Amino acid sequence: MVRKKVPEWLNSTMWSAHPPPSSFNDDDGLLLHSPATKMKEEEESESISFASRLNFALPVPSPSPRQRNNDSNIISGVVPSGEDFSRQAHLSAELSKKMINMKELRSLALQSLPDSTGIRSTVWKLLLGYLPPERSLWSSELKQKRSQYKHYKDELLTSPSEITWRLVRSKGFDNYELKTGSRCMLSRSRITDEDHPLSLRKASIWNTYFQDTETIEQIDKDVKRTHPDIPFFSAGSSFARSNQESMKNILLVFAKLNQGIRYSHAEADAFFCFVELLKTSTVKQLDNSVVGIRSAITRLSQLVRKHDEELWRHLEITTKVNPQFYAFRWITLLLTQEFSFFDSLHIWDPLLSDPEGPLESLLGICCAMLVLVRKRLIAGDFTSNMKLLQHYPTTNISHLLSYTARLLSIFKAQICFF
Amino acid sequence: MAFHSEDDKSEDYLFKIVLIGDSAVGKSNLLARFARDEFYPNSKSTIGVEFQTQKMDINGKEIKAQIWDTAGQERFRAVTSAYYRGAVGALLVYDISRQQTFQSIGRWLNELHTHSDMNVVTILVGNKSDLKGIREVPTSEGKALAEAQGLFFMETSALDSSNVAAAFETVVKEIYNILSRKVMSSQELNKQDPASLSNGKKVVIPSEEQGESKKGGCCST
Repeated sequence: MVRKKVPEWLNSTMWSAHPPPSSFNDDDGLLLHSPATKMKEEEESESISFASRLNFALPVPSPSPRQRNNDSNIISGVVPSGEDFSRQAHLSAELSKKMINMKELRSLALQSLPDSTGIRSTVWKLLLGYLPPERSLWSSELKQKRSQYKHYKDELLTSPSEITWRLVRSKGFDNYELKTGSRCMLSRSRITDEDHPLSLRKASIWNTYFQDTETIEQIDKDVKRTHPDIPFFSAGSSFARSNQESMKNILLVFAKLNQGIRYSHAEADAFFCFVELLKTSTVKQLDNSVVGIRSAITRLSQLVRKHDEELWRHLEITTKVNPQFYAFRWITLLLTQEFSFFDSLHIWDPLLSDPEGPLESLLGICCAMLVLVRKRLIAGDFTSNMKLLQHYPTTNISHLLSYTARLLSIFKAQICFF
Repeated sequence: MAFHSEDDKSEDYLFKIVLIGDSAVGKSNLLARFARDEFYPNSKSTIGVEFQTQKMDINGKEIKAQIWDTAGQERFRAVTSAYYRGAVGALLVYDISRQQTFQSIGRWLNELHTHSDMNVVTILVGNKSDLKGIREVPTSEGKALAEAQGLFFMETSALDSSNVAAAFETVVKEIYNILSRKVMSSQELNKQDPASLSNGKKVVIPSEEQGESKKGGCCST
């Protein structure tokens, strides 16, 4: 099954509808009173966003030991510079406004966001449109979306046996076992009336469950293979296990809501941010028809040719390096595999800041990556160029991003970008 | 009868070899073990293609194997065709502990033959032979399939290294042998034409470079 368009459910008003304003509360793990965000444990632990756990860098009243460990793993070695501090102050000021100026926020994110402040988790939600610019709506918005996700999980991820039992209970058979007396006297007819694992009915929840197994297996495999080198994802600790569990739930709910796309690589807040991200442009690119990814690669090639004909000629004509051999991964994974995880976060800041979706900025960065190593590429043959581009050298990310900004402004001036 | 100059020791030959098969059968780890003697129990999925070159010594000749490790996932199938072009060898890998990956072999063979020369030297590789306790595909079944399809066959373990180098070497040796025979017979034919073929230049089986000649492979030189 192939879908080229954004599926219907992604466009549903549910994703963007603003609920009626409700009473203000600051328990959402957001910068509601920036910069000193309170991050109170909620009754439902999953309501603490996946993304904000990644950026758990604000002073937290009483972090649990595992969170503290995670902090030190993530932010160790990151010493904010003076410039970072001023940018951080600027961002904090922006985020504490009643009505966030999205244009301003986007331009701030363009140069990537400062670390160690917990700002990113809020800014990304705004950039992705998951949170509206009106701060007063945030808490009600989050409440609604989180309960929506909980509903999805209940509906889509509950095991058939659990559903059967709920059904039994709702029909007033609370004392089912007691009423039927000893186990050996279970009434046969009553059970066969219900749905069961051997049911041949198409609509059987068990049938659906078995069909899902393949997707579940694929997700399981992928989650296990996601950043095996980073403790957040796979340290064997209970913290990592619960993160993996959250990722699995997100991917499975997405896959089940969207059978047309089928499952492909990727809790409540993270789920909706993930949805928003796919809504922008990546849905098309990961589509099995691969129309999206092919055209993106072609456009990258055209960009390089327009900007640096000599480099383009040497790469594609002389050394016959098909851009697909390296750019497929660059583009489909939004550069996450080319740089360290934490550098990737900085690269994603400008990617998410584009209201048109990440593709333009992404192609700009890819083009800049090629131009920045042009000397080596021009001197290289097929083999050395393939190796260089498949193992892109460690790079100063802020230099890369400022170079990209320059490139993009040239492209826009030449109106050659589209 | 030498068909290359004796003093030109480096990179006399360049063979393009592709690693194909279902996802998570261990293609990347076979390559990691072969090229770097490394193994990663939880390696990342290959996205698109990963490229590696490895020098090998066959009968005293230095041969450069250009190995293309492809993504096994169904979802990337549509873009894999570019990776096969110009391949002269293939390792077709399944996981002996997962019957399903063995069932896919026919599909992979079709894929290979659609996108490359019919004469690609192919070895069927049953990987993860260390997982004896949960084996789902008997050795005899793998052997039978290989015989029926005219493929080489070997069971390997990237984890304990067994047969890994042997599998790659089998393919490279066979390509080399075919090439040697071809070159020799064409030399016989062209004895009276000294300008032809082997005037001391290295013989290269190009990979992507020869995209313009579809027949490409060693067996059609």
